[in-house]
Amino acid sequence: MTRLVDDFWKMAALGLLAVTLVFLIGPLIVAVSMSLDARGYLAPFPPKSLSLRWYAAFFGNEVFVFGLRNSLILGFSATLISAAAGTLAALALVNHDFRGKPLLSALFLSPLIFPAVVVGLALLIFFSRLGIFNGFFRLLCAHVVVTIPFTVRAALASLAGIRRSYVEAAMSLGANERQAFWDITFPLAKTGIFAGCIFAFAYSLDDVAVSLFLYDTNSTTLPVALVGHMRADFDLSVAAAATFLALITVLLIVILDRIVGLDRVVGQGLYR
Amino acid sequence: MSSAEIPSDPVLASGMKRRRKFLSYNLIVLLLPGIVLLVLLLLLPLATIVVESFRQYVPGRVGGSFDAPFTLANYVALFHPVYINYLTTMLWCASIATLTALVMSYPIAYLIARTKSHTIRIAVIGLLVGLLFLSALVRVYSLELSFGSVGLGRTIATLMGISSNSSSYAIFLVIIGLIHHSIPLAALLMTSTIQNINPRLVEASQALGAPLWRAHLSVTLPLSMPGVLSAFLVCYTINLSAFVVPMILGKGKIQFLSNLVYDRYAELANFPSGSAIAMQLLVVTLVITYGIGWVLRRWTREGAGA
Repeated sequence: MTRLVDDFWKMAALGLLAVTLVFLIGPLIVAVSMSLDARGYLAPFPPKSLSLRWYAAFFGNEVFVFGLRNSLILGFSATLISAAAGTLAALALVNHDFRGKPLLSALFLSPLIFPAVVVGLALLIFFSRLGIFNGFFRLLCAHVVVTIPFTVRAALASLAGIRRSYVEAAMSLGANERQAFWDITFPLAKTGIFAGCIFAFAYSLDDVAVSLFLYDTNSTTLPVALVGHMRADFDLSVAAAATFLALITVLLIVILDRIVGLDRVVGQGLYR
Repeated sequence: MSSAEIPSDPVLASGMKRRRKFLSYNLIVLLLPGIVLLVLLLLLPLATIVVESFRQYVPGRVGGSFDAPFTLANYVALFHPVYINYLTTMLWCASIATLTALVMSYPIAYLIARTKSHTIRIAVIGLLVGLLFLSALVRVYSLELSFGSVGLGRTIATLMGISSNSSSYAIFLVIIGLIHHSIPLAALLMTSTIQNINPRLVEASQALGAPLWRAHLSVTLPLSMPGVLSAFLVCYTINLSAFVVPMILGKGKIQFLSNLVYDRYAELANFPSGSAIAMQLLVVTLVITYGIGWVLRRWTREGAGA
């Protein structure tokens, strides 16, 4: 009897697991295969014959290509600034005890707590008060702020893992603070910092809620262009765009795995 | 902190003294860029919308109302039944989605934590991290293709006895979208807790005669509660501030507070009202997540003590 009930619950759990995995992956497979649909209109799944016409439509659309270019430039520059400021702050937070330290750590992680729309609207009103209307500058500022929690957190985690005695050894051998940082601390922390950069870049590349408030026609990002397109006309060039963005995601995952190892994302645990 | 103590070795001691002095001067340099960025680009703008939310709306003045008189009207309007309705719909959708996502992600977390195959472990973690990185637009578009009117939409809607164009079906789609977004995060957060539970405990309770389901229910689940709670809080916060999912999948029939904020800007250019709704969203999110967090922590502590 016990065995029977156990088997039943085991099957139920496995069933739920299977349903969940299908629910997670299924829609992506649908989108990828629909992006290869040869039909010129949005028709039910599955496609009868395949073609690359929607990719041609996507890459032939000036707005999308311009948006992709803007998104990449924005993502790289925002990540760079965010990583620099975040790593410096993490260095201060790891190596020093000072009054107000918990408050400062909370401040650096706080952009994650505020809903993105609130940050977007706040920056919009703030910039228009100051008379700053340059879209790229406004987007850059916003993306730096919203990605700072990722870079600070990643830098904190990797710096905390470095033994003080390494730096102390270098200094006792005559290295100054700058030499000790570049020869000891940075090489040991750089993979962690880089992982933070990947998270920040992915976040920036994906952001809609903040960017919709701040872009102008010279700085439309790809997600903003796609949202506009999706609201006006739900055709399959968005499926091609979605597949393309999913490929970028896969690329980021592979980089992350090569650099830090995916296992580290959840840690090893005590009973593994 | 022991690492900050001056070592007895004189050479090292002088080096550390020098370093400490150097660093305390450096501390400001290290922290300055980050603090300036956050004060200038986060705290000041937030203060601006707090002020803005008390301004009177002057129609036709794009860019807000600099010198308009102060009023409470923007907040009073939020108590109108229409707005209360927006708020309750949002809370309801987010709650259902978060709870369902937790139930669905627990088996995945358990699989990652306990599987003996390294390949399965890495594959599933890779899938979850990939879904976490996946653009919200890709997610929403794929779900619309699969569950919208070109996909399974009509079938599911008929099974539920509603029209695929109705607002109930829009609610269903929004909840589906929120669940799809929450599962990867919830599963990854719970995995770290589950893999710290000693599997011998379940074996022990089985040896004492408990059936496996009973052993999991009274051993594994209570011990993994901290992970479940943090997953709940993180997912609930994210679902409450969801923007893209209700905007695209809700098709204007369902609007979360985030969407209202955006419409106030994009369609009406009513910045004071938009700011007030933004403040409401902020307060609701903070109060609910901290409030629920506090209650749940108390509750589990009592449960563990009993």
